[in-house]
Amino acid sequence: MESGMMKTIVMAAATAGLLALSPALAQAADAEKGEAVYQKRCLQCHGDEGDGLGPAADYLNPPPRDFTLGLYKFISSAFDADLPNDADLLRMINDGMPGTAMPGWSDILSETEIQDVIAYIKTFAELEGAPEGQVDFGTQVQSSPESIAAGDKLFHDGERCSECHGVAGKGDAVKKLKNDNGERTWPRNLTKPWTYRASADPKDIYTRISAGIPTTQMPSFADPKSKKKLSVEERWHVANYVAALAKTGKVVRPENTVIQASRVEGELPGSPDDAAWDLAPPSTFFMVPQIVGKERFFKTANDTVSVRALYNDAKVALHLEWDDRTKSIPGDDKAKSIADEDLGEDAIAVQLPTTIPAGMEKPYFLMGNSVKPVNLWRWSSGTTEAPESVAILDAMGINEQEARDATAAGLTAKGSYKDGTWRVVMTRPLTTEAVDKDLQFEEGRFVPIAFFAWDGSNSEVGTASAMTTWYWLLLKPSTGAKPMIAGIIVAILIGGLLFWWGRSAAARVASEGTSGGDA
Amino acid sequence: MRIPRLLQAVLVLLFVYFGFILVFDVILEAVIPASLIIMYMFFVTAGVFMVFTYDEEQTAELVAPIKAMVEDPSKRLIRNIVFVIVPLAVGGGTYWQMQPSFEAPLELRTIHPAPPTTAKIYGKRVNLLKLENPYRKLEKEDPEQFRELIDEGAAVYIKNCQYCHGDKLDGKGPYAEGLNPTPLNFQDVGTIAQLQESYLFWRITTGGPGLPQEAAPWISSMPVWQDFLKEDEVWKVIMFLYDYTGHRPRSWEHE
Repeated sequence: MESGMMKTIVMAAATAGLLALSPALAQAADAEKGEAVYQKRCLQCHGDEGDGLGPAADYLNPPPRDFTLGLYKFISSAFDADLPNDADLLRMINDGMPGTAMPGWSDILSETEIQDVIAYIKTFAELEGAPEGQVDFGTQVQSSPESIAAGDKLFHDGERCSECHGVAGKGDAVKKLKNDNGERTWPRNLTKPWTYRASADPKDIYTRISAGIPTTQMPSFADPKSKKKLSVEERWHVANYVAALAKTGKVVRPENTVIQASRVEGELPGSPDDAAWDLAPPSTFFMVPQIVGKERFFKTANDTVSVRALYNDAKVALHLEWDDRTKSIPGDDKAKSIADEDLGEDAIAVQLPTTIPAGMEKPYFLMGNSVKPVNLWRWSSGTTEAPESVAILDAMGINEQEARDATAAGLTAKGSYKDGTWRVVMTRPLTTEAVDKDLQFEEGRFVPIAFFAWDGSNSEVGTASAMTTWYWLLLKPSTGAKPMIAGIIVAILIGGLLFWWGRSAAARVASEGTSGGDA
Repeated sequence: MRIPRLLQAVLVLLFVYFGFILVFDVILEAVIPASLIIMYMFFVTAGVFMVFTYDEEQTAELVAPIKAMVEDPSKRLIRNIVFVIVPLAVGGGTYWQMQPSFEAPLELRTIHPAPPTTAKIYGKRVNLLKLENPYRKLEKEDPEQFRELIDEGAAVYIKNCQYCHGDKLDGKGPYAEGLNPTPLNFQDVGTIAQLQESYLFWRITTGGPGLPQEAAPWISSMPVWQDFLKEDEVWKVIMFLYDYTGHRPRSWEHE
């Protein structure tokens, strides 16, 4: 212990000596300390050589940064400057990169340690000095309906941004994009703020628009040579518009674990685009890659699903909505040109137990097991030859499913795709004849429910899917007049009691008064 | 000025209630079910009542303000107001109480259930009481090789576990938010620091489905790792977990 301390003191003294000697050497010393931190905290993903080829490189989406190139994506130096600012690197390490495997490190590394790591990772590409130019922020235009409208126009003018980010900003692809390494990249879905790598604050969005995102096909709109270039003011308008898009996103609220189905009189809306669905509150859940059962799959395209539900005296309808950049219809040439390798159908499945659990025990969340099977209502988007379809799968595990005719159970489904979003409605009678195989719905009972989704353009098929764990579906019972009647009865009883108390007390006081008693 | 006894009693109750909320909800950030708080406050109220009505004199002092309100003709206005508000409040309370609740059913599960004595792992019946990490002895005998094995464990971890348990082993991996129950935080002193290596070996190899009933095996998204990893890889990853977090595994021996 003591000798360790001595060592530290000696090293500190030596470092201090070096610091005094020359600034260049001082920097080298920092990088050396940074190397130790790097070895412990960073190497596993970014690799021994800083080339991003750590053991997990193949399984991470997006892959870890290759420091040997010296190029960084989320920078605030000017588009034609070669270097990032240290502040940009500091921020990436401090806060991490949302939507990636890179966590924020500010809770376990000190700022000095992080500065040392920055000095070290810069040595991989021998980056030295500061960038020559910075992003020109001019005067920030505060967000306003006028600014957002102006941004909206610029965003869509000549498909300036919508070419890649889509008409509704959902990043629905019109062509395959690749980064400088030849890896597939996807334009950001601007309606999902939790996937913004460097925050959805207008200032950060402005920075991206101005500096571009190096190594990707996101260009700088400050570049005077660009045909689509924008002035400082115009870039603020676009930034305000994009920030507004991010605000309308369907955000996951962790406490929201119950899909509440309201009872409606008359027919249920059968079309996914029916305005009646807007009245039902959506519950949005995160979807994660299926990395639990064999075979594990790591790079799913879908990350959330929003679910609404309604029911009437005979049927229950579920409305599923999820953003998918690609409408995957096998046989379709446009779909094929965007898809990875094999093009399959897009699909989504609702998982339900076969009976409403009496106690706490549910079927195994990953498609059940042989003791407790589950039902999967699986909708597929169809091909150019076959229309969309729905099937019921009796599942006893992720690799053990048997498809059954959905029509016998009365299950129907209808999907529609628009501007990067799928909407699907599945409708089934509350009760069916196959009581041993199908869940029989009951008002007021909590039903476990889970979801699986497949993006056919992302080679997702079979066990390669996005999934959720169990949530709840509740057919909200109509409460009726009972609580109101009970409330009134209780109020009258208490009121009567108090009145009687007051009266008898008054009578007693009066009688005591007449008998001349002294209280 | 002396605080009236009745007000004292009410203040004590409020103090206990908000103290409870402060400690559990605010400081410990634990979610306490409303039913538990109601039960707790019932006993506290009963206790306070007993203390404040210890003898007749005290009882009389406690109820004096109420008695005065009901009997004193000069307090007629207050009496009438109270006699209207109280029935309305209780009636309204009944109305809200009877509204159906749409909150998810409470699921209580044991996070670290007692392990079985034996378990079938990698096709063999393993006695978990006697099971030891075959590499642990290298920590003293051959520190250099021990370090190498930990580095191998780190690679296994990053390839397989960090998606949920996180790069920092804090249970906040990129997919953690999509899972319920959420992945364990190994940095926390309440997890691996309290367990033996054999326990971790059992939990990792048999995964969620290998949990006993009281730990709700049907909701745990922990994979069955004996289907994916080799036995030595599991031991190495266990060594990495302890090394990275700085925790020590529990053992039978006194150290």
